[in-house]
Order: sequence, then C-alpha cells, then structure tokens
Amino acid sequence: MELYLPVAELSVNWAVILAVGAAVGFLSGMFGVGGGFLMTPLLVFYGIPPAIAVATQASHITASSLSGTLTQLRRQAVDMKMGLMLLAGGIAGSVLGVYVFRLLQELGQIELVVSASYVVLLGSIGGLMLNESVRVIRAARSGTLPPPVKAHQHTWIHGLPLKMRFRRSKLYISVIPPLILGLLVGILTAIMGVGGGFILIPAMIYLLRMPTNVVVGTSQFQILFVTAAATLLHATSDQNVDIVLAFLLVLGGVVGVQFGVRVGAQLRGEQLRACLALLVVAVAVRLLFGLVRTPEDIYSIVAGTP
Amino acid sequence: MSWVRRIALLAALIFAAAPAAADDLVSGLSTDLIQITSNFTGADIVLFGAIEPSEEAGPARDQDLVVVIRGPDLEMTVRRKARVLGVWVNSEQIAFTGLPGYYFLASTRPLDDIASPATLERFRLGTINLESPTRAKTDPDEANAFRAAAIRDRKREHLYWESPTGIEFLSRTLFRARIPVPAAVPPGEYRAEVYLFQGGTVVSAQSSPLFIDKSGFERRVYNYAYQASLAYGFIAIFMAIALGWLSSLVFRQR
Repeated sequence: MELYLPVAELSVNWAVILAVGAAVGFLSGMFGVGGGFLMTPLLVFYGIPPAIAVATQASHITASSLSGTLTQLRRQAVDMKMGLMLLAGGIAGSVLGVYVFRLLQELGQIELVVSASYVVLLGSIGGLMLNESVRVIRAARSGTLPPPVKAHQHTWIHGLPLKMRFRRSKLYISVIPPLILGLLVGILTAIMGVGGGFILIPAMIYLLRMPTNVVVGTSQFQILFVTAAATLLHATSDQNVDIVLAFLLVLGGVVGVQFGVRVGAQLRGEQLRACLALLVVAVAVRLLFGLVRTPEDIYSIVAGTP
Repeated sequence: MSWVRRIALLAALIFAAAPAAADDLVSGLSTDLIQITSNFTGADIVLFGAIEPSEEAGPARDQDLVVVIRGPDLEMTVRRKARVLGVWVNSEQIAFTGLPGYYFLASTRPLDDIASPATLERFRLGTINLESPTRAKTDPDEANAFRAAAIRDRKREHLYWESPTGIEFLSRTLFRARIPVPAAVPPGEYRAEVYLFQGGTVVSAQSSPLFIDKSGFERRVYNYAYQASLAYGFIAIFMAIALGWLSSLVFRQR
C-alpha cells in the first residue's frame, strides 16, 4: 500500500491518497465547487508538505473542471469573451502568486500565510453562506420569499473606462473589473492551490451582474486554464509538483466527481448550500486551531541540498 | 570537511596512536547499494565484522567498538516560532551547513565510557560532536539551541540514531550491528566507519562506502522535474486533462 513520491521524497499510503482524491471529488461534484479548499488542508493533515500540496493539487482541479467546462460549452453557457478577460487577469495573477509563493517559502512564512488566508477566506465565506442559507430555509418554511437581486442596476462599476460588449452576458461594462477579478483569483490559485470558484461566482453575480446561467460555465472555463497555468508555473519555478501524487489525486477525483454530481442532483439547493457552508466553516476552525495551539516543538527544520 | 581530509586525518591519528602490533579490524555491510523503489518504506541493513587479534599480542581486553553511518551533508534551516497576537509565527531562523542527512551510531558501551570527550570530539563521534558551521552571526548559545533543535528533530524522524548497545558480539571476535534506514533518507553517498578503541584510544578503523539512490522510475521523475521542468509541467497538465476527459466519456455512456 506504500508508494514513494519521487519529488516529495516521502512515502504515502496510495489507497489513502486515492480516497482523499475521490472524497474531495465527490464533494466538489455534489456542491459544484472545485474542492481545492478541502484538498490542501487534508493533504497537509496527512503529512504532505504544504508547498507540495498547493502546487500539486492544482492539477486535480484542472481535471475536475474539465468535464464541467465541456458540459457547459455544449450548453453554450460559457461567455468566451468574459472568460478570456478573466483568464488574462488570472494568468498574470498566477505569475505574481507563484513569485510571492517562492518568496514566502524562502522567508519560512508560506505555511503561516497559506493557513491564515484559508482561515480568513473560508471563515468569512462560510459564515456568509451559512447565514444566507439559514435565512432562505427559514423563509421557505414561513412561506415568504426573499427579495430577488435587481438586474441592470447601475453601480460604480459602470463608471469605469475601457468598456467592452459581452454579448452572451448581455453586458456592456469596463474590462477593468474582470481583469482585476481574474488577477485576484489567479493569485489565490498560486498561493492557496484553490480554483477560486467560491470567490469568482459570487463576484460575477453581485459585482459584474452577469446572468446566472453563464456564471458557472464561465468560471469553470477560467479555473480550467488558470489551474493549468499554475501547475506549469509551479513546476518551472519551485519544482513542487509531484506527478505521482497528482496522478493519484486526479484518478480518485475524476471518479468521485461523477458520483458526487449524481447525489447532488437529488438534494435540495438550500440544504446543499447549508451543508457546504458547515463544511467550509469546520475547515476554517480546524486551521485556526492549528495556528493558535502551542506547538509541540517551537523549532522546525527544513533540510535541502546546500 | 571533505572525505579525503577526514580519511587522511583518520590515518594520521591511527599511525600516531596505534601500538606496534594493533589488532586487525575487518568489516562489511550486508549491502552497499540501497535502491529507493516505488514501494520503498525504509530498509534494514547489517554491518558485520571481526577483530583479528595480532599474533604477538594475543586477544586483548578492554576493547570497544563504535560504528557510524553518515549520510550526505545537507543545508538545514532551523526556524523558531514565537507567539504574535495569539498566532504562532516563525520568527528567527539559522541555516546550518555540514549536518548530515542521516547519522547512525552504535557502540558496545555508552560513548562517555569508551573515550574522553576530547577524543570523541576529534573523531566527531556522537550527535553532540557533529560539526555544523553557520554563516549567521548569532551568539553561540543561541546557535547551540537551534542546533540542538535540529538534532532533536532528526532523532524524532529516526534520521539520527544513537544506540549505545547496538553492537552485538556473536563470538569473542565476531560482531554485528543492525542499521534501520527510514523511508525519508536523503539519497546520496554514505560512509560506514568502524572504530576499534582500546584503553580509550582508537587503535584501528575501517571505512566503506554505501550508496542510497532512487531506482529507475523514481530517479527519472525527479531528474525530469528539475532538468526539464517545462515539459514536466506540461505532462502533469496533459495527464489531468486526459484523465478528466476519459472519465467524462466513460460516465456519459452509462
């Protein structure tokens, strides 16, 4: 059951890694998220160095977002132009992110930054999601519906220059917000190993005001390419991609995701969201605990060839 | 210190210290090459040897043996955490060069009973005598605390191991030491050294090489990741895309 990872230089139980890949794939299929936010913490709890975990699991997201993108393309639910704008920002962001990642690794702060950004992002997004889904469930029980989000509302975003027409999204907005959004998500992909769907999707709906039917497909399109770019950049810049580990994660993941999609289709939306929110909050709490708990040994050692 | 210098020093010390008729020491390892294969979970090797008493002197008393296996030197960065606003953050760090990636020591008795601290230091025997220069300008006490932490950590990972009773005598002259090699050993050139002490001084010593290397596939992957990293990255992406595409094909037909 033991398998030696040639780049990580440690041996793991391949069945456990396969199961982690499948479990995260299952959840990502069920909830329609990339699952990167679960994968990095799980791998780190198992004992994979954080740097290897972040760099390697981007390929897991590439694989699981591929089938999603293909389906959405067939349904014509991808705004290519918007996707390309986000992608341009995303690639710039991941270049920047990989550079920051390397810098932090040299300073010895990468673990702290990865954990702390997870706590902040997952804590706040999980909290918001939990709050919202509880409200929706309560409202559904009492029979009142929450007010819908108004479309075509004018905000500060419409005042920005360099406007462009996005026909599929029925939008005429500046290219600056999609570029910046893509950039931010690209940085997250490189530093945290997440696809960033959990930020991209709300931002597309509430900030860019894209119609919901193209949001999921477009974000998956962007995630597919940005995670691929991040894999390539990590491989060339810090050599933290372990292809044997990646293979196990992807193999487990692509099978798990298919079953997750089938189960997810049978659950109700608001319950699904509440479950996801609980999961997200639980991961954040566990990571926070790791940051504040007094370590067994306050010294840590990194060995490398001189 | 380079191996050449170490061995030269060793030879010089032995010639100076040894009485005219020293006992002869022969030793060997059960293997001189450990291959890290895909199912590598560590290895157990055995060092065996014999003390052949010189003809004039006859079998000697109060003899002790020390066996050392030393791996390639690595650069070790030791970091110390401090609490900042309730969160544990890495604050100070010191990089040491010259600490081995693996260090195993077995002896017939505790080292302190075998020879004086000065002798042990001269032959660099025991983890407390490992040479570890640092470029950092910290005060010596501080550097020692970091160094001790590095050694403690390596012992926890079973990469450093001291076994004061690890040498077994099978007969009056024949001895054996079991060496547990954990899965996390760094590949490289190792050296097995056997020291024969008599009356607190080294009278004979032997050194033999041991190689630990990744086997075919593991080494190719590792080399590829570093030497052809662009192609390696593309292969990783291609693998992910191929598997993702394959699975969506397989599952759509069902």
